[in-house]
Amino acid sequence: MRRMKLAITGLTACSGCQLTLLNCEDELPELLGHCELVYFPLAESGNVLDVQFDAAIVEGAVSTPKDLELLFKLRNASTHLVAYGTCALFGGVAAMNNRVSTRRELLRSVFGAGEKLPESFPPVPLANFVSVDAAVTGCPPEKQEIMELVVALAAGTLPPARSYPVCTECRSHENLCLLLEKRELCLGPVVQGGCNARCPATGIVCEGCRGPVREANVAQELELLLERGFGRDEIERRMSRFKPEWDYGKRS
Amino acid sequence: MEKTFLKTSRLNQFLETLRLFGELHGPTVSESGVHRFSQLHDPAELQLDYRRTQIPPKKYLLPFREEILHYASGSYSEGYAGAGDLVLFGVHSCDLEGIAYLDRVFLAEPVDTGYATRRSRLTLIGISCEPDDFCFCTEGMESSSCDLFLDAVADGFRLSSHSARGTALLTAAEQLLEEGPPPAPRPSGPRLLPQDPQLRFSEHPLWRRFASTCVSCGACSVCCPTCYCFDVREYPSLSGGGTRIREWDNCLFASHGEVAGANFRPDRLDRLRYRFLHKYCGFTPLQGITSCVGCGRCKEVCPVGIDLRELTAPPEREER
Repeated sequence: MRRMKLAITGLTACSGCQLTLLNCEDELPELLGHCELVYFPLAESGNVLDVQFDAAIVEGAVSTPKDLELLFKLRNASTHLVAYGTCALFGGVAAMNNRVSTRRELLRSVFGAGEKLPESFPPVPLANFVSVDAAVTGCPPEKQEIMELVVALAAGTLPPARSYPVCTECRSHENLCLLLEKRELCLGPVVQGGCNARCPATGIVCEGCRGPVREANVAQELELLLERGFGRDEIERRMSRFKPEWDYGKRS
Repeated sequence: MEKTFLKTSRLNQFLETLRLFGELHGPTVSESGVHRFSQLHDPAELQLDYRRTQIPPKKYLLPFREEILHYASGSYSEGYAGAGDLVLFGVHSCDLEGIAYLDRVFLAEPVDTGYATRRSRLTLIGISCEPDDFCFCTEGMESSSCDLFLDAVADGFRLSSHSARGTALLTAAEQLLEEGPPPAPRPSGPRLLPQDPQLRFSEHPLWRRFASTCVSCGACSVCCPTCYCFDVREYPSLSGGGTRIREWDNCLFASHGEVAGANFRPDRLDRLRYRFLHKYCGFTPLQGITSCVGCGRCKEVCPVGIDLRELTAPPEREER
């Protein structure tokens, strides 16, 4: 059987998503029997870009001309382009201030006033520039979900989607509802599940690292949080931590 | 007179006797304060004055997520792990009726193998309860859909057996029991009356309000003792085969009525009407049978206070 040719890389990101893949130690040996890691700069040297890939798995947001150049190259060279992680899908943590500060202000606060500033623009999802064939969300993604995707690709298909919010798994695991019982700023109802409600299971609110669930009732979530005494600014700050743009009037 | 009375002081010994029939589970409270059914390691963990557990006992028969099939080149195997004997103690009438409803669904032809296996090894021991503000069962009703039922009175419990296994339990615990009057016969089955299916098309203004406020979090059906809708998904494996899993689903999710190229219930209002139909009117082959057992969970766990039963009452006249 021909081994699937893979590119795995990151744009503007922390490499956490790629590390999650590398942390799948139990599955990696068998996986390598099915795919050839042609381009994976984080994990190996001698990478080659000028071949045709079966799939490119790309972490991170697009924020520099170099990001864009690499993204276009991979898109043109790959049958499937996978947006891997919250940054690639929604902009992520790097984009949280997109609506608050200008790029120039942010760069100055990092690099100082006297320095020559690097070329960059507000971080945005891959889909703003190229078509995306599949996605794995999360900051970082669940090991299980990235493995499901890679294995499905190797089998010539894509994994079935989950489309329920964090609350569904949270309630089913018999956790205490932090939104109702403790009146905390929990984003569970509008955030994509699949994480087994990791945070609420330990008593920490859902901060929304997996991005919006399908048909999220954002307007009602906003109302619920306002009723609990949180300020509009505070709510918007929290909501934009992993995705800067929300339509606060959206109900379906 | 038969020996059917258990003094409160002998409850712990009675629980020890129950262990002979399987792993003992009952209502307990978690570290974070959530009531749930879980294994009773120590009788002190038992929370007999509980109102309702977050998740009903259906979790023992239809787990939230389970592998139901493995397949590889040329062969397949069903994934049901061997279930052990389990004794579930302290179940309220509403939850017993919930299991009775699930039995009608999963034990009817074609029988669901996993459910049937687990059900056959489950011993159910009911207990009387005090309703709270969320309950909407018919008060005073008592379920006989169990092996043994305990009616709590001042200094103990009046026991009544409803199956051969229940009688075996009474025999095993004979030395702990005293003679007492049999429990007063009570009407069985706290089921609510079915509603007219046409009601789901009513012009009640609440339909629109519920459709706009429902956050589709799934809590109502996750916590419902009779919601059994499930999703089936398949994941390939590297060896060439794959795994099929079954997981609880909710009729208020966008994907629930979705088929290739279309959606039977494209918006939330359609989905609420569908939920109403299934919950309160029933449909083929359980048409005319309401599946609501009045446990009050959906009302308690809904973040936006939706109570579909309000749709059965005439709308309140709007004040000018």
